[in-house]
Amino acid sequence: MNTRPPQGECGMYLDVKGITKSYRDNTVLDKLDFSVLKGELVSLLGPSGCGKTTLLRMVAGLVSADSGTIRLAEREVTTLPAHRRNVSVVFQNYALFPHLNVRENVGFGLSARGMTKAQQKVPVEEALALVRMEQYADRPISALSGGQQQRVAVARALVVAPDLLLLDEPFSALDRKLRETMQVELKALLRSRGITAVFVTHDQEEALAVSDRIAVMNAGRIEQYGGPMDLYSKPATSFVLDFVGMSMRLAGTVKSAEGRLLRISTAYGDITAPGNFIAGARVLVGVRPELISPGLPQGSPEATNRVTATLSDVMCLGAKTLIYGAASGDDCLVCEESGAYAIGLPSAGSPVTFGWRVEDTLVYPAEHRQ
Amino acid sequence: MSHAAAKTASPAGRTRDPFLLLAVPSLLLLGMLFALPIAFLLLKSFRDADGALSVAGYIAFFSDPYMLTALRRTIVIAFETTLLTLVLGYPTAFALARARGFVQTCILIAMILPLSVGVIVKAFAWSIVFRSDGVINKTLLGLGIIDEPLRLLFTETALVIGAANIFLPFMVLPIYAVIRQINPNLGPAAATLGAGPFFRFFRVTLPLTLPGVVAGAAFVFSMAVSMYVIPNLIVGERSQMLSMLIARSFLYLRDEQMGSTMSAVLLVIAAMIVIASSIILKRLSGRQA
Repeated sequence: MNTRPPQGECGMYLDVKGITKSYRDNTVLDKLDFSVLKGELVSLLGPSGCGKTTLLRMVAGLVSADSGTIRLAEREVTTLPAHRRNVSVVFQNYALFPHLNVRENVGFGLSARGMTKAQQKVPVEEALALVRMEQYADRPISALSGGQQQRVAVARALVVAPDLLLLDEPFSALDRKLRETMQVELKALLRSRGITAVFVTHDQEEALAVSDRIAVMNAGRIEQYGGPMDLYSKPATSFVLDFVGMSMRLAGTVKSAEGRLLRISTAYGDITAPGNFIAGARVLVGVRPELISPGLPQGSPEATNRVTATLSDVMCLGAKTLIYGAASGDDCLVCEESGAYAIGLPSAGSPVTFGWRVEDTLVYPAEHRQ
Repeated sequence: MSHAAAKTASPAGRTRDPFLLLAVPSLLLLGMLFALPIAFLLLKSFRDADGALSVAGYIAFFSDPYMLTALRRTIVIAFETTLLTLVLGYPTAFALARARGFVQTCILIAMILPLSVGVIVKAFAWSIVFRSDGVINKTLLGLGIIDEPLRLLFTETALVIGAANIFLPFMVLPIYAVIRQINPNLGPAAATLGAGPFFRFFRVTLPLTLPGVVAGAAFVFSMAVSMYVIPNLIVGERSQMLSMLIARSFLYLRDEQMGSTMSAVLLVIAAMIVIASSIILKRLSGRQA
């Protein structure tokens, strides 16, 4: 299983350049660039229809590109058909062959490469052991649970020693508990085998859990590509702010700009924020909820922002408590406290103040909601 | 809900599924108009003209070379018809499954609408096409491909083509129904595992569509083996099929024993096909269960 062609240590392992794909008038991918290093676990994260699955199928060779190039492991594969790319895919519903048993499913790729049943025996057993499914080798697929089917799909994809593993929403068919277990397990497995893998998902928690880097996609483009912490603490666009993690979001207008400090008026009072906008610009202000505290913040008034609203809801989620203020339009007033903070808090309907540091305030140009 | 309630309401140990009652009207109809007459027919094949028990009818049938030729011809024509509908219908079923929206509706209508036109009308249409001054001959003559009209009508080739045309939907629809059940990602999954088009077809597509093929073949064969109107109109008296000999026995020769005997033989052939296909289908689904 470790017979992989030798790779150059530097340079991009998977390199997608200038890919465009349209169906009639609908541009699904728009001059998109995307690259993955060898051994990296990467997620394509985005809402449905953002083009992430099209990109995955294109890398697999199942969809052709209108323009652009795809290079994988030092060779150009743009026009190579799927069965000659050596790219394995774990499909959303696993796509196991219902007329074959577990062993035959895992051995399928080896059969396709001309190996006899006898030659397949050892690698198939190894792959099944890898996903702890040895004792199910002779079961029909219909006798397996969702989690077991996923393991078989992973074993089937890995047994052929692919140059790249693609996973299309691999956990979406599993219930929450099992999903978390499988994420940890799969990540450890891929790491230990040094597999380069690209996950496609619409679930930001999943992307944060399994990947080294995440490419957030929207409308056929990559909005931001970076590590989980970068995406969360420094969202490049308001889309990333909105899609990755929770946030307080306020629409506002820049009243004045002094150096790099902006004075912004919102429906709940004026605030100060760092940024580069001209006076009069319509902006979106965002703050991560755990950086906000209910009540007056610590520190000098110049270095802090505060807005006051009516308390609308308190949600105790166990490890954290969310406190919501009544907001108008698309605004969202929320702050997060660790633990069961709700005890002793004023009840809904009473006024509440949200406070946070100026330097934690993110400002984006206002966009029309999609 | 009512299902469970009915079960618990019945006395212990005697659970009856009330849904079986829904089939009673059609079972009655089948029993009165199909099973009973068939039973009478089978009985009759074992009675001579005086009403005494005898297997003379079967001995006469299986020792008459003319009858055996007709039997063989009937089976061969039914087989060829099945094969032709399979060759034409299999790709059609894929096209139908792959097509979307308007195109799919058009193909489906094209498949189903002809079923509502009587067989006799279609068979007449074929005889017009196949005639020596029919469309095919006129076209071929006009193009200079042939010098004199081909004999098309009254040939077994024309019969097979005509029958295949009429039975095509019964092959396409079961295969189409099976294709629709297949996960569309199986082909891509096989491809990404390194399987080329041929490997994919023979290891994935064909085994998964086999149940539809078996069902369609059983449909078409059992209908083709007993067809009467189509051979009558396309081939006529020249090459007799069993069904035509049965009609002749009953209507003209008044030989009820021979007629019943041939009917019984035909029935056994059709029954064997249906039973064999259901056994194969069970095997196939057993492997996937």
